Amino acid sequence: MRVLQLVAAALLPLTALAAKKSPEERFNEAHAKPQPIKLDDRSYDALTKAPRDYSVAVLLTAMDARFGCQLCHEFQPEWELLARSWTKGDKGAESRLAFGTLDFLDGKATFQSMQLQTAPVMLLFHPTQGPHARPDKPMERLDFNTGINKADTVHQWLSRQLPDRPHPPVVRPIQYVKIAMTTTAVLGVITFLTVAAPYILPIIQNRNLWAAISLIAVLLFTSGHMFNHIRKVPYVAGDGKGGVSYFAGGFQNQFGLETQIVAALYGVLAFATISLALKVPRMADPRSQSVAVLVWGGVLLVTYSFLLSVFRVKNGGYPFWLPPF
Amino acid sequence: MAVDTAVPGADFFFKGESGRNTRGLLRLLILVTIAAAAIAARLFSVIRFESIIHEFDPWFNFRATKYLVNHGFYKFWDWFDDRTWHPLGRVTGGTLYPGLMVTSGVIYHLLRFLTLPVDIRNICVLLAPAFSGLTAWASYLLTSEMSDSPSAGLLAAVFMGITPGYISRSVAGSYDNEAIAIFLLVFTFFLWIKAVKQGSIMWGALCALFYGYMVSAWGGYVFITNLLPLHAFVLICMGRFSARLYVAFTTWYALGTLASMQIPFVGFLPIRNSDHMSALGVFGLMQLVGFAEYIRHQLPSKQFQTLLRAMVLVVFGLAFGGLVLLTVSGVVAPWSGRFYSLWDTGYAKIHIPIIASVSEHQPTAWPAFFFDLNMLIWLFPAGVYMCFRNLKDEQVFIVIYAVLASYFAGVMVRLMLTLTPIVCVAAAMALSQILDQFLVASQPSEPTESTKANGNANGNADIKDKLAAAIPESLRSTKAPLVGIYSYLSKSVITGAVTAYLLLFVLHCTWVTSNAYSSPSVVLASRLPDGSQHIIDDYREAYYWLRQNTKEDAKVMSWWDYGYQIGGMADRPTLVDNNTWNNTHIATVGKAMSSREEVSYPIMRQHEVDYVLVVFGGLLGYSGDDINKFLWMVRIAEGIWPDEVKERDFFTARGEYRVDDEATPTMRNSLMYKMSYYNYNSLFPAGQATDRVRGSKLPAQGPELSTLEEAFTSENWIIRIYKVKDLDNLGRSHQEAVGFEKGNKRKKAGKRRGPRTLRVD
Repeated sequence: MRVLQLVAAALLPLTALAAKKSPEERFNEAHAKPQPIKLDDRSYDALTKAPRDYSVAVLLTAMDARFGCQLCHEFQPEWELLARSWTKGDKGAESRLAFGTLDFLDGKATFQSMQLQTAPVMLLFHPTQGPHARPDKPMERLDFNTGINKADTVHQWLSRQLPDRPHPPVVRPIQYVKIAMTTTAVLGVITFLTVAAPYILPIIQNRNLWAAISLIAVLLFTSGHMFNHIRKVPYVAGDGKGGVSYFAGGFQNQFGLETQIVAALYGVLAFATISLALKVPRMADPRSQSVAVLVWGGVLLVTYSFLLSVFRVKNGGYPFWLPPF
Repeated sequence: MAVDTAVPGADFFFKGESGRNTRGLLRLLILVTIAAAAIAARLFSVIRFESIIHEFDPWFNFRATKYLVNHGFYKFWDWFDDRTWHPLGRVTGGTLYPGLMVTSGVIYHLLRFLTLPVDIRNICVLLAPAFSGLTAWASYLLTSEMSDSPSAGLLAAVFMGITPGYISRSVAGSYDNEAIAIFLLVFTFFLWIKAVKQGSIMWGALCALFYGYMVSAWGGYVFITNLLPLHAFVLICMGRFSARLYVAFTTWYALGTLASMQIPFVGFLPIRNSDHMSALGVFGLMQLVGFAEYIRHQLPSKQFQTLLRAMVLVVFGLAFGGLVLLTVSGVVAPWSGRFYSLWDTGYAKIHIPIIASVSEHQPTAWPAFFFDLNMLIWLFPAGVYMCFRNLKDEQVFIVIYAVLASYFAGVMVRLMLTLTPIVCVAAAMALSQILDQFLVASQPSEPTESTKANGNANGNADIKDKLAAAIPESLRSTKAPLVGIYSYLSKSVITGAVTAYLLLFVLHCTWVTSNAYSSPSVVLASRLPDGSQHIIDDYREAYYWLRQNTKEDAKVMSWWDYGYQIGGMADRPTLVDNNTWNNTHIATVGKAMSSREEVSYPIMRQHEVDYVLVVFGGLLGYSGDDINKFLWMVRIAEGIWPDEVKERDFFTARGEYRVDDEATPTMRNSLMYKMSYYNYNSLFPAGQATDRVRGSKLPAQGPELSTLEEAFTSENWIIRIYKVKDLDNLGRSHQEAVGFEKGNKRKKAGKRRGPRTLRVD
């Protein structure tokens, strides 16, 4: 990083000189540097100065940890990838597009003059002269608040804004490390399975295990876990009086904890049913059997009654209930 | 036993050959009663309102059925409909599932043959309840295959008959594909289980036949296409490959695929689409395993077996790789969007907003499960657990079906429908187990001290056996021998409780059906302060206005939700409808609705639109109106024209979606906003106009329209219809013309022609 800063500092006088150069020269100079160019206030002004026959895409970002801009950090590698692969695919610079990055720390004046409150923001400067000139709209702005964080989306947007020019595709580098790691991991797992097969097989083939897995899956799904997963609901919420509200109001709402409570209720009810149907008739002692019947019957009644009362909370007009709740 | 002494002739009726007949007769009577109850439970809407087709999709099915009845089968098969999707038209005959219409058509002609002239509309209205009776019977058959208990099947039938999860899509008037598809689904599964159990080609072929019927009836057939191969695959993995399975599966696959390819809409999908590839893959695997098994019987050499097993694995891997390659190269189409969005739940929201926009495709919150299934939802896991007790081939099927269907139902509200049958079956198995134990009149004898556990495992067995011994093979809860229930108290307590729960279930089902699922949504009902019912009939009022006051070929533009109803009730051509086959065309309508008049007018002219129809609930507080659906129109339009329509412009700076004074200029200039609130001020004292859905006060100055004129507004303002103005006679723009009418001074043109110069001749 330090080296980069030094380079940028060394380039400063050059860019100052560039201000007096013709647009053609400015672009050639900018294009010669590794993309995206790291800009500051002065070089930004120089690059985007009015008579230009080229386009500039500048990402205004805030990478410093103090600003806590997560999206900036997420998007930075994507941005570099986009700039690199664009330049690589367009060696002859036919698209006449230069990429630049302006960090808030280097370009406070620019941020202030644009009155920017958020980062990152991408600006695209159209040429003011030449065949692609757009005198009606010298600059376009892309906000990232709609959840863009991939190079491909930005690439699409750029392609739309720059018609009749080559649009080199985004080329993601092949991640050899990842491939190697995956291969090793797969081989490792296969080896492990081969060695451990005699120990694992009885477990895999065990009926109780599969019964447990199936039941847990069924209970999770029927108690609305997928809703939590898709809608990203909060786990619990306050009730406004300092306490915790366990059940969300409304038929179409739920909390994470709420679904777990409901799953537990279903589980208890199902277990009571299983006990009554399978275990109790197998008890040899008459006394303990009648006690078990009464206990499980009671559990069933109380839990079901509680479930109904919870459901009445969710659905105001529900008329049915069971004692005791 | 007590009965024996009381009635001398009881022996004759309850024992031996005639006893079996009596039980059979009783069972038949019970099943008929259940079917009658199932049908009766679905008639609320007919009694309360009238015999009318409900909602949206049924109106298309109804229209198609009428076409089939009037023009004959072959015309229907080749039907090109130029009155929808104007100006594109729709190859309707080739893009629908004809099963439903053909079924009604056959019933219609059969009744006429029997000299019973029943109106086709009544057949369509009552088709779903009639088939629900059949579904109850099919679930009786399916459950009887699963369980030894004689009561399980009957319980399943009655559950299936009245559970709201199924009633929701099969009340009278809900003339949709699901009406017959659920019967076909359950019956196909029954035939499949029968085929697997007996290994008979006949049952396999019958299964394929009904599978073909199912394909012709509902797009959800893909569920069967994937579930049966999965069952077969799991059985193979469990080492349960058998000749029975081989016969059943190959018969079903070969015949069923051929049958499904007869439907024009399906065509070559079974061999070109990834949704169907699992069936093809398991079919291939089945041949390999069958071959290997055959060889193994011929050559019992250990090395050869290893070699063979490796070969099977390699061939399977190669075939799988080839399939992936074909998919990548484009010969085999990848997973279809709808199906894919079940696995990657975020997919639809990003890529196919039109799928995400449908409320049926939202995930299911837990109250919906309880609402639709009541106590069955907690009997369901118990039933699944009992399947593990004696895990035969058919019980494996139940377990797989249960897990998969509960996942699907959790992801999409609409798929609750596929979960319901298995919940009924599993719950019936659990409950019948309890009833069978607690309803036995005879008492077991007192135990003796003989049953002592003697479970000493051999000390010198190898590790595998030790582990196997440590982890019991059978279920924990069924190790001890069955004894029975001793005391009458226990019996009566549990029997009473179960009876109470069952009665509560019946009450719940009736309440839910009557309150939630019996509204035709074409006709709305409300209660007046004195408790009497008030019918709000704006939809039909407006559609009949269209039918009677507009030209036969006047094109009506509306959001796609109302396309089928306009086609069915008003009989006017529409631009888009609920068959959302062309996203761009829908986005065009979305763009016209969400843009300024100057942008929308050329679009409407280009599409020859004569009338625009919007649904507005602001006066009545009807929340399913177009302003609430508006953001989806914007989103879908933005997907095609991201530079012209931007969702962000419809939100205020604070990110709120508002319609009052603070609404954004884009919102207030959009055609939809203007059409909804045009002249709405005139209903209220000045400055008092309120929108009762959004609960907000509207701007004092109402919107003005220049390219449209109000043609019709229904009684409660739910439907508003506008006529698109023709081009101005004098060649002015509409804005200028309206300005002239209002007496605005026309801006002098030519003022800015540069400095005046003296004319010198």
